Amino acid sequence: MPNLKELADKCENLAFDLNFTEAKSWKAKDSKRVIIGYMPVYFPREIIHAVNGLAVGILGGGDRKQIVVGDAYYQSYICHIPRGIIEMALSGHFTGFDGFVFPSICDVIRNLSGMFQMSKIGQFAKYMDFPQDFNPEIGGKFYIQEMDSVLSKIKEINGVELTVENLNRSIGLYNKNRKLIERIYDIRQSYPWRLSAVDTYHIIRAGMVIPVEEHNEILEQLIEEISKEFGDPMDKIKVVVTGAFCEQPPVSLIRTIELAGCYVVDDDFMLGSRWLQTQVDDTTDNPKLALSDAYLNYSAFSSSVYDVGNPKSKRLIELVKRRKADGIIFAAPSFCDPALLDKPIYNQECDKAGIRYINFQYHENIGQFKVIKEQVGAFSDSIKLWDVEA
Amino acid sequence: MDNGIITIGIDVGSSYVKTVLLSYSENIEILDHHIEKIRKRNPAIVAEESINFLLDKNNLVYEDIVYLASTGEGEMVERKKGHFYSMTTHARGATFLFNNVDFVVDMGALYVKAIKIDKVGRVLDYKMTGQCASGSGQFIENISRYLGLAISEVGEMSLKSKAPETPSGICAVLAETDVINMVSRGISTPDIVKGIHISVANRVIKLLNSLKADGTIVLTGGMASNIGMVQTVKELAEKAGLNPDNIKAHPNSIVAGALGAAIWAGFRYNKLNAKALSN
Repeated sequence: MPNLKELADKCENLAFDLNFTEAKSWKAKDSKRVIIGYMPVYFPREIIHAVNGLAVGILGGGDRKQIVVGDAYYQSYICHIPRGIIEMALSGHFTGFDGFVFPSICDVIRNLSGMFQMSKIGQFAKYMDFPQDFNPEIGGKFYIQEMDSVLSKIKEINGVELTVENLNRSIGLYNKNRKLIERIYDIRQSYPWRLSAVDTYHIIRAGMVIPVEEHNEILEQLIEEISKEFGDPMDKIKVVVTGAFCEQPPVSLIRTIELAGCYVVDDDFMLGSRWLQTQVDDTTDNPKLALSDAYLNYSAFSSSVYDVGNPKSKRLIELVKRRKADGIIFAAPSFCDPALLDKPIYNQECDKAGIRYINFQYHENIGQFKVIKEQVGAFSDSIKLWDVEA
Repeated sequence: MDNGIITIGIDVGSSYVKTVLLSYSENIEILDHHIEKIRKRNPAIVAEESINFLLDKNNLVYEDIVYLASTGEGEMVERKKGHFYSMTTHARGATFLFNNVDFVVDMGALYVKAIKIDKVGRVLDYKMTGQCASGSGQFIENISRYLGLAISEVGEMSLKSKAPETPSGICAVLAETDVINMVSRGISTPDIVKGIHISVANRVIKLLNSLKADGTIVLTGGMASNIGMVQTVKELAEKAGLNPDNIKAHPNSIVAGALGAAIWAGFRYNKLNAKALSN
């Protein structure tokens, strides 16, 4: 069995293979297989898996892809991730992908789906709207129609019909995947020195580009490794990092947060992989309804979701308490309207709850971390050395 | 030594690694310290060697140290228990060396930081020099090398100046060109050296002014051990309306960061122990 370092290295290579070699070689083994690219935040990958497809997360090129033409597609006041994705699309990274799904996040991503359509990248590019009405008779029905719309487009490509049995099986596999990921976060909450936040990031991100069966195997091996006693804790504060649910921070930024005196015990980097906070029923006669109910009732909180009945600020405070974190780092991408509009609401709730926090912004290919390091270092020290804020 | 717990603070700078061995109790006592120039070596290795040097010299083993804290660029120190931010440690070091400190100026090899602190040494605000090396200790070291002086000589040398010549304060490259011109014009070495001290001290005063500094100002970092620099900062402070008597430097100012880290190490050790007991 591979050791921890080997697993982490393998996942890093998978996560940042901008040519999606694994996914493409998986597809090459069967002419009826399809690859469907999807953007953050959340997409029900189960439905793709059940029709002989692989849902592959597309997260931009980060700091590994130079933007040349991408900037021509977006104004300077737009976030960075769509530039990276259109750059990758136009330079052939998505060759072999059959279709693309752009889940509802914001106007920018909706427009990106239009660019894919006009540029004829893949056989379809669907902007997938998610219900903002959580009544199953309204939002639930709408959501199932949206899933059906994606399935009909895939059927046109590979002719595979969705069956109850297959979807239940897929739901079971993704249930297991989320359970294993949560287990890793739970272990890290108590023993964060056993697996760095950077390695955790690579390991979860790798799951967006390989079949879920393989990812589950990696996660099981990893859990076995980090369940062993090793290493000593350092004197660091525990933080929850939030705001990075769509455009991903460069790995060096996550590393900087750790080096500056923090253990990241929870985050929203790969939120889509942890979105459903329940085990979806995989024994039902209507698995699409089960997926829909899970979405309506057990979604993670995010700035991309309207949630007046269950405010995200309250849920963030609950998360901080559950993870026994000392503070929150609000790290939002520059020009990310959803994250930045929510920030004052979160900040206000933290003030009320007496939870300390800092705010900063980044973009996916930021290369200078000195200021962030100073800020996070000062934050860490202030919590370690003084019980109350200055 | 009383019955204090023993801690180590290690400050990894861009030119030097400073290490302090401390006895932490109600009566904090510096047991020993060590300053090692990095000289193009791997700082992580220099740090390890510095720790071992102090341990061996004081007949201690690593297990005797309850908490080893790093600061500065010390994230790479393998055996550390925790890392503190350099402003926090310089502030704490300064408040140990002097009473009632209001501002700390960390005068390092790469930049100068003016830090406003409260009565318990907490950082309230700061300003630092920009990217240009002309406001840094490295700049003084470079010029002294061009002039054939050891860094330890420049302070004394600057005190002999009669008519200082100030180079460009904007850019280190231009300033170095200015110095070459000064040499060819026959300007005396003390006047050139004093001029570069004025150039750096001007930046210090600008930072202090931007923080509306008042009260006791403690200079820390490598340049604070240069008596010529301390004298020049005092002279320019007086011209800027600050009381030069309030500007202070201590023989241990150069290790203030490591000292602060060692003190905070003792504080955290006790705090973590108390937390563990209460659980």
